[in-house]
Amino acid sequence: MAFVKPPVAQPHRDDQCLAPRDFTDLVAELSYPNPAARRWAARDLAAYPEASLALMACLKEESHPSVREALLTSLTLIGDEVAVAGLVDCLRSEQVGLRNEAVEVMKELPEKVAPIMENLLADENPDVRIFAVNILESLRHPLVERWLIDVIEREPHVNVCGTAVDLLCEVGTPAAREALTRLEARFPDEPYIQFAAELALKRLGED
Amino acid sequence: MQRILVIDDAATVRLYHRSILEAAGYAVDEAINGVEGLEKALRAPFDLYLVDVNMPKLDGYGFLQELRKTELPQAPAIMVSTEAARSDLERAYVAGANFYLIKPVKPDALLTDVRLLLGAPRP
Amino acid sequence: MAEITISEEDFRKFREFFYRKTGIQFEDSKRYFVDKRLIERIERTDSECFRNYFMMLRFDTSGDELQTLVNLMTVNETYFFREEYQFQCMVNSLLGEIIRHKKDSTPIRIWSVPSSSGEEAYSIVMYLLEHWPALKEWDVEIISSDIDTSIIRQARRGRYSARSVQHLPGQLLKKYFKPIGLEYQIADELLGAVEFTRVNLMDPVDVRAYRNFDLIFCRNLLIYFDDLSRRQAAEAFYDALNPGGFVCLGHSESMSRISSLFRVRKFAEAIVHQKTREE
Repeated sequence: MAFVKPPVAQPHRDDQCLAPRDFTDLVAELSYPNPAARRWAARDLAAYPEASLALMACLKEESHPSVREALLTSLTLIGDEVAVAGLVDCLRSEQVGLRNEAVEVMKELPEKVAPIMENLLADENPDVRIFAVNILESLRHPLVERWLIDVIEREPHVNVCGTAVDLLCEVGTPAAREALTRLEARFPDEPYIQFAAELALKRLGED
Repeated sequence: MQRILVIDDAATVRLYHRSILEAAGYAVDEAINGVEGLEKALRAPFDLYLVDVNMPKLDGYGFLQELRKTELPQAPAIMVSTEAARSDLERAYVAGANFYLIKPVKPDALLTDVRLLLGAPRP
Repeated sequence: MAEITISEEDFRKFREFFYRKTGIQFEDSKRYFVDKRLIERIERTDSECFRNYFMMLRFDTSGDELQTLVNLMTVNETYFFREEYQFQCMVNSLLGEIIRHKKDSTPIRIWSVPSSSGEEAYSIVMYLLEHWPALKEWDVEIISSDIDTSIIRQARRGRYSARSVQHLPGQLLKKYFKPIGLEYQIADELLGAVEFTRVNLMDPVDVRAYRNFDLIFCRNLLIYFDDLSRRQAAEAFYDALNPGGFVCLGHSESMSRISSLFRVRKFAEAIVHQKTREE
């Protein structure tokens, strides 16, 4: 026995992933019993911009982690309005995992998420508002600081503010100074807010 | 010195918890989510885990479930969450948490729980 | 022009950001090292001060500046037996577990990516020859891939500088290399043991052919990718692995920024990521 030079391509014999399938075949495969088949369908659907609705529907039912990851990656790659609307729905889910996954995907879609950000930050459910702030964490968008300042100025819920101040420690500029000072005055008995706001103020830099 | 791992995706929260625990005499390390928490625990186990519930990649419940499956010494864990529903508490205890704190955490409440689980800090 | 300075809080702010993005943590003792490189980039990008530079870095949609910084902050050299503890882990722990679960006598398949100029793949071959007696009973296929075809040509040629081979034990250098001028030519036995191929990990059609691997080495590559590309790479590895197969990442890399598809496993020599067995 020794080292052998392999034929590089090694498709599974029982694997249909190399056979050409069209959109309808792939959507049907999303509900196959075999998770590997569902995973391949989810991955291959990334090539079809019209697939977001089917992928979203599948995400809400799918329990196998490897299929969920593939669904999320494909949704991120497609990243259209339909995908984003579906992800917003996920933010309201009772499943912690699904909510966190939706946040992760939305961070990657600044152009699509920006137009709905103000609505998310004004959502009646404070958990959704926290997730909206979480999305801002890695969002590359020029309005991030403005949104965060609005949150700490207006938001009544201490944990939504707490999450926003955490991000201001990173993206805050002197424009946030007064809002941070007012936030401290608004929550005088919350040591975390005091700690975070002080830190953010220290990191704003010079005017 | 007893070692505590603070797992939270928010840098300021980690820093806040670290500053409280270090001032009280415990040694602290940080992880950004459950996956990194497990990686760090497997490299060198901790005496206590302070775990946020909502985190990307692997959330607090998932972290505790995985931790409890390893051969590591079964150190105590405190869960931290913004959610205060009874179902959340029960879920945390089932996953293997010893205590459950609601954010934002007050330093006294945190230190009371930590001292109960670890005793006073040892040099 | 005023002198550029990095304040204590600037350093901390940058440290947290860099940690979140890459998983690399700088101790306080690294302050000088980090500051020096930051100042270099601030000057090079005409950012004038840390604050401007940091905002550009944070909001740069291309991710190019972060990649440049990662390059500056890490030492990305490739040489024989780099991060040797992982090869020890392979022969002492991983391969044993792989063959215990193998249902047939088909070859063990190892994928080394990126191949770069071949040092890693040839190190695996040498390690197996020298430290894995079961090689007598098993066939092993080693495939090593890179996106860059010129580096692949170099890998196939097998000619190395003294610097590349400096960490090799003397007797292995003598056994497997022939000095040619200032360089070293690797033996035909090793050249013949590795198949080099071109692959783009981001291209689903490219990676589709890479299947049924038991072990993947992907060290110090994902750290240079943005979040979505890392995700795609992790997906490709997951599909390329047999159930129970392992991924070895570089020592400063963690799956925690990448994916929860894999289980973290601790072995005596290293932390390794494993694809679960069920499915």
